[in-house]
Amino acid sequence: MLEVRDIVKTFDGRAVVNRVSFEVRPGEIFALLGPNGAGKTTLIRMITDILKPDSGEILLDGTRIGGDSRRQIAYLPEERGLYRRVSPIEVLVYYGELKGLSAHAARAAGLALLERMELAEWATKQVQTLSKGMQQKVQFCTALIGEPRLLILDEPFTGLDPLNTQLFEELLAERRAAGCTVLLSTHQMNKVEELCDRALMINRGHMVLYGSVRDFRRQYADHAVTVRCDRRPDAVAGVHGIAAGDGDWKLMLEPAASPQSVLRELVASGLGIESFSIANLPLEDVFVKVVREGLGLDHGQSGPLLPDEIVKGAAR
Amino acid sequence: MNFSWRRALIVARREFLTTVKRKAFLFTLIAVPLYFGGVMTLATRGSMSDRRDSLRSFTRLGVVDSSGLLTGAAPEITTRLAPDPTGAPEKLETYRTEVVFYADQAKLERALRSAEIAQGLTVSADYLATGATRRYARSTGTFNSASSVRPIERWLARSLLAGHADSLRIERATRPASGMDLYTLGKDDRFEVKDERREMLEFMVPFMVSILLGVCIMTGGQYLLQGVSEEKESRILESLLCALSPEDLLAGKLVGLGGVGLALVAVWLGVGFAVSAPMLALAQFPLSPGLLALAVVYFLLGYLFFASIMTGIGAVTNNMREAQQFSMMFSFANLLPIIVLTQILSKPDGALAVTLSMLPFTAATAMMLRLGTPSSAVPAWQIALSLALLALSGWLVLRGAARVFRIGLLMTGKTPNLPEIWRWARAGR
Repeated sequence: MLEVRDIVKTFDGRAVVNRVSFEVRPGEIFALLGPNGAGKTTLIRMITDILKPDSGEILLDGTRIGGDSRRQIAYLPEERGLYRRVSPIEVLVYYGELKGLSAHAARAAGLALLERMELAEWATKQVQTLSKGMQQKVQFCTALIGEPRLLILDEPFTGLDPLNTQLFEELLAERRAAGCTVLLSTHQMNKVEELCDRALMINRGHMVLYGSVRDFRRQYADHAVTVRCDRRPDAVAGVHGIAAGDGDWKLMLEPAASPQSVLRELVASGLGIESFSIANLPLEDVFVKVVREGLGLDHGQSGPLLPDEIVKGAAR
Repeated sequence: MNFSWRRALIVARREFLTTVKRKAFLFTLIAVPLYFGGVMTLATRGSMSDRRDSLRSFTRLGVVDSSGLLTGAAPEITTRLAPDPTGAPEKLETYRTEVVFYADQAKLERALRSAEIAQGLTVSADYLATGATRRYARSTGTFNSASSVRPIERWLARSLLAGHADSLRIERATRPASGMDLYTLGKDDRFEVKDERREMLEFMVPFMVSILLGVCIMTGGQYLLQGVSEEKESRILESLLCALSPEDLLAGKLVGLGGVGLALVAVWLGVGFAVSAPMLALAQFPLSPGLLALAVVYFLLGYLFFASIMTGIGAVTNNMREAQQFSMMFSFANLLPIIVLTQILSKPDGALAVTLSMLPFTAATAMMLRLGTPSSAVPAWQIALSLALLALSGWLVLRGAARVFRIGLLMTGKTPNLPEIWRWARAGR
């Protein structure tokens, strides 16, 4: 769907995006992560063709970004606004027409979106009379109108109450089911764990993590398993330490031990096991660890995947 | 994304409709002509009214004659005044002033202090040789003290000649050049009588067009400045730029808000001509379609030039307040010819007028003023050169503004300095 190949963007001699490559697959919700100032917004602006990369290329369905192919991309920026003295439906018709719909079709699509967002009765009121949350919903509609194939959302859940967060998530699921691909940039790591299959994390313009979210969490976790059982699992072969958790036990494994061998030992010891899982690190902790320790910035010595390796992978 | 006229026209339509629907537009549409009309009416009517009031209150003149030359003087001064500058001569208003003689200055001063007389006049003993007189008044307005001088002068002339010439000669001596016609060399190289009323109309039409042009260019530019600043300040642009290119947005804004400016000109000129049609018909004043067409061309090119600058300013500044500070000097430049109006009118083909009509900042208003000045004969090559320079500079500024616009739209924080803006204007994205 979207392929970003080795792109570089410099401002005043400083590489804000430095040899970044990744791929977003059709129909997936892909997370773009990184601390503030990492280069995420610049990267998104290049994907939306607002900025041109100094080198590298961005492909949408195998075609370079630019021209009318960009009409298939919609972007909801983090810092967003609306025309205040017009009605939501006028805003949506304007965006719809700009995205190639006829005025009639744009009005119909706009009204349907407002209906879905539970804003139908506000369709003809001035935007400035709407609450902040309602305005955020209208902004979301401006991104959804025209049925884009790639939806780029920058912090879409910020400021939403739980009900509206749920509504947004439902809408994302609907769009995904309809074949829309989503690139989600957020600092809400719980949402990434909940919604996204894969992610790219950049720091200081470099890509420092790229791949499956589940793999990151496992990769950066301690070599451990979590077990819920009827008593404390003492003296298990291959385990060098035990920590009590919230009703369960975290078992620290010796380097030579594997989760499978420890599970066999636990069963053999006659414990009543309710659950057994490989210990994962919350994504938020992975984020903090990678950023704080500067992992991946040393050309692959500390990070799991190197830009060069990914580029080579893409070439293969 | 490539430039698309379809998207640019969607932007243009939106800009035009949202602007003309605003209360601020209606206010500009109605209030600006009312303001200018009101100011002009107040200025002309005010000065006529002051003069009339001054003559109306000039009921008695006290005179101390030490020369003995005024013994046979008329006991009354009669002054005739037209109700307004374009009024017919048969509708003259008459004001009478009684003349009262006093034996000495002390009595005259006493009479003046007690308001028995409106003004006093002392004529020196050697008046015939020196012309020395003194006029006394309790107080006068700043500029209207001269209203009663001419009636006194005429009365003195009549009094001196009384008994020495017949009444016709005396009348002629008091108004020796009242029937003098001025013949000037016309544009077709023939001497023609100078019709001041017609000349006033011939000047007023281009003068008003020139002012309207200046105001409309400025108004259109301000709308543009406001629009770009608002979109930048409210962070609409980033999502908008995903649906269109900066060039689509820039072109749409220029066309839409240029349309607003043209609509303003059309309404103001239409109403102006409709209101003044009877006066124009009376003076048999033919409206020159060529001049009007030239005004439209100057408007379009002048607008393109100024609007491009305003767009660039809107894009590099962070809010409306900052944008207006930057734009003020450019708006001022546009109206500079109106400020140096007297120099342009007195020497319409002089160095200042020609220079201002060539400089892109002032060309539109200055050239319209020159074209409207009856004594001016602007050569065709100067009009062509002025238009060419304006078009060329407009195109160059538009190109630079488009680049600045593209980069500046998404920049926030520190306002860039001039070298940075220059670098943007020359660079891509």
